[in-house]
Amino acid sequence: MIEILFILTLAASAYMAWNIGANDAANSMATSYGSKALTLKQIIFIASILEFCGAFFFGSRVTKTVGKGIVPIHLLDPHIVAIGALAAILSAGIWVTIATYYHLPVSTSHSIVGAMVGFGLAAVSENLIALESIKWGVLYKIALSWIVSPLAGAILAFIVFSLIRVLILSKLDVDRVEGVFRYLQVITACYVAFAHGSNDVANAVGPISATFGFSETPAWVLALGGLGIAIGVATWGYRVIETVGKKITELTPTRGFSAELATATTVISASYFGMPISTTHTLVGSVLGVGFAGGLASIDLSVVKRIIYSWVLTIPAAAMLTISIYTLLVVFL
Amino acid sequence: MRFIRSVTDVFGYSPFKAIHQHSEYCVIAIDLLVDQFEAFIRGDKKEIFTLEKEIDDLEHDADKIKAEIRTNVTKSLRLPVDRHDLLNFLTFQDQIINYTEHVCHMFTYRETKNIENEIEKKFRQLLYKLNDIICKYEELIDHVASLIATSFSKKEITDVLVHVSKIEHAEHECDTVQIELHKLLLNSNLDPMDVILLRNILIHLGEIANSTARAADAFRTMILGR
Repeated sequence: MIEILFILTLAASAYMAWNIGANDAANSMATSYGSKALTLKQIIFIASILEFCGAFFFGSRVTKTVGKGIVPIHLLDPHIVAIGALAAILSAGIWVTIATYYHLPVSTSHSIVGAMVGFGLAAVSENLIALESIKWGVLYKIALSWIVSPLAGAILAFIVFSLIRVLILSKLDVDRVEGVFRYLQVITACYVAFAHGSNDVANAVGPISATFGFSETPAWVLALGGLGIAIGVATWGYRVIETVGKKITELTPTRGFSAELATATTVISASYFGMPISTTHTLVGSVLGVGFAGGLASIDLSVVKRIIYSWVLTIPAAAMLTISIYTLLVVFL
Repeated sequence: MRFIRSVTDVFGYSPFKAIHQHSEYCVIAIDLLVDQFEAFIRGDKKEIFTLEKEIDDLEHDADKIKAEIRTNVTKSLRLPVDRHDLLNFLTFQDQIINYTEHVCHMFTYRETKNIENEIEKKFRQLLYKLNDIICKYEELIDHVASLIATSFSKKEITDVLVHVSKIEHAEHECDTVQIELHKLLLNSNLDPMDVILLRNILIHLGEIANSTARAADAFRTMILGR
């Protein structure tokens, strides 16, 4: 029985990884397409390889937080953990798909954290663990990181672009500067892909890692996540890159460079601290930072409100969906 | 497109392309007004009415652009310039084409014959000066792209300031011609009804130059007021 649950969890994780590659990885990389720093093929090539590398080599900390840092899985029966992991990854996947359909700026990271909380609460309601044993301290830190990361992106991007503006743009010919940054942006694009892979892989494989108990997450789990993301970029992400890239042409190489550098630095720091943050929200923060530094013709601040709404909606939605699926699984298995 | 999450929402509506297009309509309208004046002198009624329609349509299209900008530049947008400065500037730019439209109707009010040669020449001179000032103005608006590209570098701002003073100088020249033309008109032997019409046209042509200078000034305020 537990084998079937495990295989289903693997399948759901693979779907989630694919979805992350198709949408979030693609969004991060679209900045390089919008500024014509790279061609679509080059972007897909870079994204596939570096997303995988980020996930495989640097993804274990966040994966550990998601899988083992929220629900005290060592207090639970492996069978229950297997059910919970499946319920969590399924509901995160379902929620992200529904929300995407309705154009809500949701985050896969928020969804999976909400789902894991749902799993924890379901276990509490069954009297398997006490409410206090859910690691609220870790959740508090995660919530804080969700507020800090877009702000950090904004501040960093503001500083980077302001420096470029004062030290370079005001002194040299704009076209030549942009020409040089077109090449520099290749580096930041790689940086973003690596950082994104390292943080977002956890959203796909965190629940699987929970089923392995307290032993280290096997490398093949991270590899599976990385591969799923890479396939997502290659099979669907290119459409997203094209669609998004065409709309953000005003993000010239200097602007794209600033936003990418700020985003990747913030995301990789979060990965280092094991915090599952939203790359997309960080990227939005970074673009706003470039805008506040006077780098863009127009930014729309109403996006901040939409992001906060989807935040508030995502946590309970993913949690409740997980509780429902968990209950169904327990009843029918 | 369904099933795409995107970050594009963060990019707001940018009014600068539309502003540039609006300014191009102003240039075309004044160009047509010069042609209409020549038709008026020739007494070519058909041409006068055709051009009246063309200018009127242009003004109508310019109004649509103005409305589009006003609707889309909402409070949640953050532009590199102050929103109120921008809308204020747009109002002045819109007056250029509004006054041009007023004049195009005036040419149809009455057939005027035997305009003295000297008056005709001065009118032509004034219209050419208007053409010159609006071309300079369009060059000023062309600066917007490079202002944004350089994120308002000092050099670009200095260029803009130089350009605005050129326009102000050109407006002053228009004033001089206008004064001379007033003297000629009021001391001519023309039918008084013709004098009333021509003087009305003259005053409105002056308003076109004034509006252009005012728009350039508002543009400067907008650029410096960041």
